[in-house]
Amino acid sequence: MSRIGVFVCHCGENISRTVDVERVAGEAAQLPGVAYSCDYKYMCSDPGQNLLKKALAEHNLDGVLVAACSPRMHEKTFRKAAQSAGLNPYLCDMGNIREHCSWVHEDREAATAKASDIVKLMVERVKRGKALAPITVPVTKRALVIGGGIAGIQAALDIADAGKEVILVEREPSIGGHMAQLSETFPTLDCSQCIMTPKMVDVANHPNITLYTYAEIEKVDGYIGNFQVTIRRKARSVVEDKCTGCGVCTSKCPKKKIPNEFDQNLGMRSAIYVPFPQAVPNTPVIDRENCTMFQSGKCGVCAKVCGPQAIDYEQQDTLVVEAVGAVVVATGFKLYSIDRKPEESPIKGYGEFGYGLIPDVIDGLTFERLASASGPTGGKILRPSDGKEPRQVVFIQCVGSRAREKGISYCSKICCMYTAKHTMLYRHKVHDGQAYVFYMDARTPGKGYDEFWRRAVEVEDAVYIRGMVSRLYQRDGKIVVMGSDTLVGVQVEIEADLVVLATAVQAQDGADLLAQKLGISYDKYNFYSEAHAKLKPVECATAGIYLAGACQGPKDIPDTVSQASAAAAKVITLFSKDQLERDPVVAKVNEKYCVGCLQCKKVCPYGAVEEKEIRDRQGNLVKVVANVNAGVCGGCGTCQATCPSKSVELDGYTDEQIMAMIEAL
Amino acid sequence: MTTINQNCYDSVTEAIRREAAKLLQEQTVAAVVGYVAGRRPGTASPAVAKSAEDAEKLVFSPACVNNLALFLSKAKKGIVPKGKTAIVAKGCDLRALAGLIGESQLNREDLVVIGVACAGVFSAAGERSLPLSDANIAAKCRECTIHTPEGVDVVAGTLPQLPDFDPVEAKELARLEAMTPQERWAFWKEHFSRCIRCMACRQICPFCYCEQCLCDRNRPQAVESSPRPAGNLAWHIVRAMHLAGRCAGCAECERSCPMDIPLNLLNRRMAQELKEQYQYEAGTTPQEKGPLNQYREDDDQSFIK
Repeated sequence: MSRIGVFVCHCGENISRTVDVERVAGEAAQLPGVAYSCDYKYMCSDPGQNLLKKALAEHNLDGVLVAACSPRMHEKTFRKAAQSAGLNPYLCDMGNIREHCSWVHEDREAATAKASDIVKLMVERVKRGKALAPITVPVTKRALVIGGGIAGIQAALDIADAGKEVILVEREPSIGGHMAQLSETFPTLDCSQCIMTPKMVDVANHPNITLYTYAEIEKVDGYIGNFQVTIRRKARSVVEDKCTGCGVCTSKCPKKKIPNEFDQNLGMRSAIYVPFPQAVPNTPVIDRENCTMFQSGKCGVCAKVCGPQAIDYEQQDTLVVEAVGAVVVATGFKLYSIDRKPEESPIKGYGEFGYGLIPDVIDGLTFERLASASGPTGGKILRPSDGKEPRQVVFIQCVGSRAREKGISYCSKICCMYTAKHTMLYRHKVHDGQAYVFYMDARTPGKGYDEFWRRAVEVEDAVYIRGMVSRLYQRDGKIVVMGSDTLVGVQVEIEADLVVLATAVQAQDGADLLAQKLGISYDKYNFYSEAHAKLKPVECATAGIYLAGACQGPKDIPDTVSQASAAAAKVITLFSKDQLERDPVVAKVNEKYCVGCLQCKKVCPYGAVEEKEIRDRQGNLVKVVANVNAGVCGGCGTCQATCPSKSVELDGYTDEQIMAMIEAL
Repeated sequence: MTTINQNCYDSVTEAIRREAAKLLQEQTVAAVVGYVAGRRPGTASPAVAKSAEDAEKLVFSPACVNNLALFLSKAKKGIVPKGKTAIVAKGCDLRALAGLIGESQLNREDLVVIGVACAGVFSAAGERSLPLSDANIAAKCRECTIHTPEGVDVVAGTLPQLPDFDPVEAKELARLEAMTPQERWAFWKEHFSRCIRCMACRQICPFCYCEQCLCDRNRPQAVESSPRPAGNLAWHIVRAMHLAGRCAGCAECERSCPMDIPLNLLNRRMAQELKEQYQYEAGTTPQEKGPLNQYREDDDQSFIK
């Protein structure tokens, strides 16, 4: 006969308000196998825990049920208390009479009866519980960083500087991300490339960093401490080991009129190209869709001129598998764009801004390229349509952002600051030019931010008009901006030469697909979700995966770098241990009855099931059965539900326990 | 009444004998699973031919009703000697083989499949002294879609012109479908109430290869084992659910049922469900994953309320 102790918690008044806890404890005492029961105001408090410990010793209990809150809240607390009193912690369970009962019911009588039922069935489960020992798993002390923008670069450098190996994967041919595209950065107006490119070079030269550019994550298997990541290295058509980066191929390539994505399609590049001069690695890539050799089979100029013979037209995508212990996701953002396929755009109703139709209506990132010394205009602010210097520039903020009715309710956070910066950059380059800004609110929290914005208004003479723009249209080579000044209460009309839209910051394309591969959650905007908004801002709910930068939500560079370093710190903390302890709630196969149909293997979301051959002493194959890798098993129980012969069971949730619980009711 | 010419079966028999003898003589296979004529006229029974002499006795006739894939499954281990095996397979047997391969129970490399051009077999109650005709053909054969085998190593025989049979089973399914849920419930309740739990349906099913059936477990007991209404219902639901998306449609369960429970109707209804919900049909190509073993983004979730 079991000797189970039942401890019923009042949770202050949270439970006792609707549940007669004394009656629940009294009824529990009558259950077969219950040797002791009591109720207490706060079981999780120090005296409450001592009560449990004392009762364990005095009544020689062999199982404990704490009827209180959700096990997610205090299971660890009570298991620890039980363990300190000499009980196997897995013989201590919780019955949830708060979230599942008192909080959701009003009828005291019925709620008390339900609480008693919960206790009754949980007692049956505790009775059939098994003493389990925690599983220890080794930690692979290598990290994967996905995304080579400033977030990924910072995280990779921090982890690598701590002496741990890092695999950095970047989708584009070069690392650098959006920050490499920027001209100057707020609030100090220091040159973005001047602070970015040294870090990029550091990444390339760091002995602990393996860099895969032009590569994407194909598959992620495993779990904290032991991930297996399959990386697809897209065919560059250039052998990286041979290429010296001399640049002859790009200069000799006959196909030169391809819009350069790095310059927001303003400049041109060749079919074999390096995205920008400071690219890391400085290895070109052939854009096969535009390359004459790939399209018609005739050309081959780059191969002919390449001294080290690095061009390989036959190159195929290759898959690399890397074992890592932790993953930092730093995939960044994209700017909301309605230019190409407005009908497919998630944000409707900005047709009135003529973006994509009027060539001189551009987005913020395009303005950055115009202002950048390395940009298509060499740093001169020139209109895309006719190359003339604009005399009046109108900036429109909150295009897409903070417009719930149009699909995005969040603030993109960086636009107020970068628009202020744009007005200054413009003023510094076109001294007699006039900048106008249509804004909803100027949001400038941050060190030196408000001062920066006031400088744009007060020193650099940007005219800020509080109100939105209703329509843009072309007239006599100018763009007429019709808007309202809501502070003065008048309609305004400005003849602009150039209009810059501060379009919303959105999650990167394919962010949801990557999240599905990684098994992490994301919000309705495809931004990745942190485990806790305040206390776990860089961790994912999936153990061993961390977030850095704008993939989690709009962020400026200082925030991104801070978060990247924080994520790196979390990874380094994880790597400071040689072994991780895991909950032993894992599936076990009954090899006697398993017929090896391997349905479990097919349904296992963790890839924890593998085939196992059972052989006799002569080495003859007796049969093939399923085998669960306890280190990989996530304890979800899908295999248990799937197994047609019920030959696999989850420890702590065995069929015997579940059936006994049902029968107790 | 439309009668099927018996000659086509003779040509299949000849081809099977020739192929089996060759395979056994050349020791390509250790055994050939096929049929031999039964003692009484109009009958046949499964047999394992292990020599060229045995091969001479193999036949194919409308009496070859059994699904031979059963003898390769784990439930019948030891009947067929170890090593590479040849098997005579009708269309429905082929689907069972494909299913067993997909479920890691068989290796295609260990098999030589002699697919037969099968015009049909006798129904359980059909008169066997007469040639196969509209009157005595099995219900499943009336609607068979794989008279000519696919994806096999050898095709035995050629198919004669087949008449269009009245699809009685499909009509019965449609009749059930048209019932109200209460009427349908009464229909199945009546049938299940007659079940004596002999488990013939399980023993004959090539897909019931578990070493210990869930329904035989007693700690904890999931399905009551004595022939009483609750347990009968539970067993038949478990059987139907476990076969959903797997059933080869050989209807051996229904043929072997001593109480004439129309089990294949249930099998077909489940197959229809899988087809409608997931565009999935058990076919002659082994599948890595059935639709019930995978989660897809576009799965219908309307049932979650």
